[in-house]
Amino acid sequence: MPKFSIDPITRIEGHMGVELDIAREPALRNEYVVREARSKATMFRGFELLLKDRDPRDAVLITQRICGVCPNPHAMASVQALEDAFHVEPPAAAILVRNILEAAYITYDHLIHFYLLIGPELGILCAHPPMVPPALGIDGIKTLGLGAHYAKCIEVQRAASRTVALWGGKFPHIQSLYPGGVTVRPTLDKIASSVARMVSVWEFIATTAMADFQAILAANERLKAVTEATLGVRVGLENMGASTGNFLCYGLFPDHADYQDWLDPAKRRKSVIRSGTWSADGLAAFDESKIREYVRYSFYDSPSGLHPSEGETSPKRDKEGAYSWTKAPRYGEEVFEVGPLARMMTTFGTNWRVERVHPTTGEDYGPVEYVLRNPRGSVLDRFAARAFMLMLCANKAFEWLLELRDYMGEPIVNSMTIPNEAKGRGLWEAPRGALGHWITIKGGRIARYQCVVPGTWNWSPRDDLGNPGPGEQALQCGTTWIPTLTVPQLANLIQAGWGDTLARALTALNPAYARLNMETTDTPESVNSSIPLLIVRSFDPCLACGVHMIMPDGKRHSIELDDHH
Amino acid sequence: MSLARREFLKTVGLFGAFTFIKLHKLDLIEIFAQNADYWHIYWLNGSACSGCAVSFAQATDPDLVQLLTSLTVGDSGLPIALPDYMQVIHPASGRLALDFVDVWKTGSSTKKVLIVEGAVAGEGFCEVGGRSFRDLLIEAAQQADYVIAFGSCASYGGIPAAKGSVTGAMGVAEFLRSRGITKTVINLPRCPGHPDSLVLVLASLMIGEVTELDRHGRPTAFYGMNMHETRCPYRPYYDRGIFIQRPGEFPNGPAEEGCRYKIGCKGPVTNVDCALRKWNGHVSYCVEAGAPCIGCSEPEFPDGNMAPFYQELPGLPLVLGAPAETWGLVLVGATAAGIGAHSVKRVLTRMKKAKAAKKPPSSEVEEEAVTEEGTEAKVAEEPPPSEIEEEAVTEKETEG
Repeated sequence: MPKFSIDPITRIEGHMGVELDIAREPALRNEYVVREARSKATMFRGFELLLKDRDPRDAVLITQRICGVCPNPHAMASVQALEDAFHVEPPAAAILVRNILEAAYITYDHLIHFYLLIGPELGILCAHPPMVPPALGIDGIKTLGLGAHYAKCIEVQRAASRTVALWGGKFPHIQSLYPGGVTVRPTLDKIASSVARMVSVWEFIATTAMADFQAILAANERLKAVTEATLGVRVGLENMGASTGNFLCYGLFPDHADYQDWLDPAKRRKSVIRSGTWSADGLAAFDESKIREYVRYSFYDSPSGLHPSEGETSPKRDKEGAYSWTKAPRYGEEVFEVGPLARMMTTFGTNWRVERVHPTTGEDYGPVEYVLRNPRGSVLDRFAARAFMLMLCANKAFEWLLELRDYMGEPIVNSMTIPNEAKGRGLWEAPRGALGHWITIKGGRIARYQCVVPGTWNWSPRDDLGNPGPGEQALQCGTTWIPTLTVPQLANLIQAGWGDTLARALTALNPAYARLNMETTDTPESVNSSIPLLIVRSFDPCLACGVHMIMPDGKRHSIELDDHH
Repeated sequence: MSLARREFLKTVGLFGAFTFIKLHKLDLIEIFAQNADYWHIYWLNGSACSGCAVSFAQATDPDLVQLLTSLTVGDSGLPIALPDYMQVIHPASGRLALDFVDVWKTGSSTKKVLIVEGAVAGEGFCEVGGRSFRDLLIEAAQQADYVIAFGSCASYGGIPAAKGSVTGAMGVAEFLRSRGITKTVINLPRCPGHPDSLVLVLASLMIGEVTELDRHGRPTAFYGMNMHETRCPYRPYYDRGIFIQRPGEFPNGPAEEGCRYKIGCKGPVTNVDCALRKWNGHVSYCVEAGAPCIGCSEPEFPDGNMAPFYQELPGLPLVLGAPAETWGLVLVGATAAGIGAHSVKRVLTRMKKAKAAKKPPSSEVEEEAVTEEGTEAKVAEEPPPSEIEEEAVTEKETEG
């Protein structure tokens, strides 16, 4: 079976590659499809080791540095793990500030993904120029609209991240979360300044991003016409990247008026995003005790199948059969997908609807609605879920900002003391999915710290039962077409002349771009990796997060150190 | 006001980057536009979190879009600063992405900039495209005309090299030296790196200005000032002895601020211009959000003096030989008597002059040098920092 790898995968966070075995599929007119996929995380930093023995409060600032793309969620999960251990709850004003911080942050994050990370592939495959990078500069934007929204997005995301900076001090890596609340005081000035910034974000999302979302939905029909002609089967974005159909979500945005509902992760019915699992049997309550991490195919030689609060790991770089630095988390031994799509499923089921009323003028742009296309998830459904999260967060940011006016002058932090011995956990949703931090404190210091992050869930290698992770399953779902056509050739099939325009734009940057997304198999043959890349990016992988390890209490690890020290 | 090129970074230091960029935006764009050739950029990620790349995307005036689209070489339509390879935003993946490293290597001479994000971990802990990051770094550094370590990890190892790390992570300069490569590395530490500093350093390289570096390899324009001494807007509270005692709790009700020293602020041992420059288009910075500075621009971060983050520095820096709290008590009395802060400043100045008269000649020379180099004395009416304060700070620096 021919094989090739895509390594490095760019436009994701962290270092990642995938290895793909491909074969000609008789049912698809003998075109190549992916048979087997293996995802490899190729970096290890060992965050949990360097957290050991530190002041527990420092975890909020250090764990943010796990990932510069999603620092906020790490801070949120960490501060809640500490609050759980310290037996302290944030006051209502602090909950509102946290929600505002996170809503503004998610608009930044999802906009970046929408346009800069997955946008180029979607733009190319759907012949939608505004989402392709502005390869011809200002002229290309003016004459062809090439990269028009891509460029605009860079500007708009800055307004969102400035709102984050207003409440967090700076972005990336905010500084204002503290166990028991926040350090930043709500002032009219900050509220007004945030509203001004978020209006431009809201307008861009409600008009431009939602229009691009509809454009992709429409263009998907063109794509299906091409696959029907080439493969004999209509394969659209809703068929690409189908995974397990098991979805897991921890919940997001607690109700500041009812924090008790939030404190039990099995409940979380009043939060904007609800916790739970969704599978073929429908919705079920979330049960934290069902989480286990497996390491048979990971570079660790510690026991497999432990709960994160009891986890134990030691790195072994040359482990036989292992191929990734990520572990394999499973829920009740099953493979679960996490992310925006999981959030939609546990909160809205299969029919989604979000209002679109201008926050300052009151003008109604009409609701956005969507019905899940593929119960196992797909590129299209994940993209749609991000579009909905964008609209939802943009709306909610205003609600909370206005609400916060009633809390000015109220306490923003409740006092606490660091216990000598305690355990705690914080469960939150990063943009990419379920994020959990578990802490054990002994002698007032961190004895054990463990993070199970979205990148570990979605890009886990095979588990002890041999079941591939959600991303691997999505790649080997059966319809991952590997054309032998080049990107411009494929683009010309989708819309006559589009490929030529694209080729001109790309090769103007550098002639080498004529080979965009082309990889060589071991046979050797030149194949087009656009569709697997699209599938990988539909999960928005975040691999820096995915790789971590813990230190079992009191044990030393013998690890070969390099020449340093 | 037109820009004196040789004074470029010095002027930046004088105004602070934000004001400088506001004043000189057109000059800056002209600098980029006048260059007749592309500046080939290779942005290499090691043990990183991509936060520095995200931070760079927050650059303004010129922003990332301008850099990539409108600042072009002649009428070629190609961007002046062309990232041949930048993992986080690169159009290509896989083999082609790596081919672009060769495009960078064959770029025209004296136009090759290597920007490294992330620490250099031990062999086997970081791979890119099936190759060791360390090998990629060595090859690139040998080819590069300029090497910029962007962010604390690339500069000094940062968080991945923190106490307890098992990966042997270190900064770029240290690693290259251990491999016999003595090329100058321009360190732009902070966690994440500040986009303004990167844009301005690129501009200064393009006009051929030699960047003046301090003993930690940092451009003095951005790192030549102490947070606590010269730039902190909460310094008046320190001088009056008004402190926030616990994060999120304010000493005199919601209308009053307070110095962050007691909640662990590392400003007194941190040399960087955050308080002046601020972040995300001058919106805020850590201390303004009610949090302590954690000293992320210093080589010892996140250990040494910086950890634990919320722990008060050992030994309060002295104001004219007395703890600030004492001055605070004096001041409370003074304010109550309606004398106000200015009279106290006059008292301080008088005391300082009296001290200076007693100083041995050698320290006077030193102080002159500081005054000449420092910018604060020129823009502010305040007296230069006292020698005693300087000593206190220096002492702490050497401890780390």
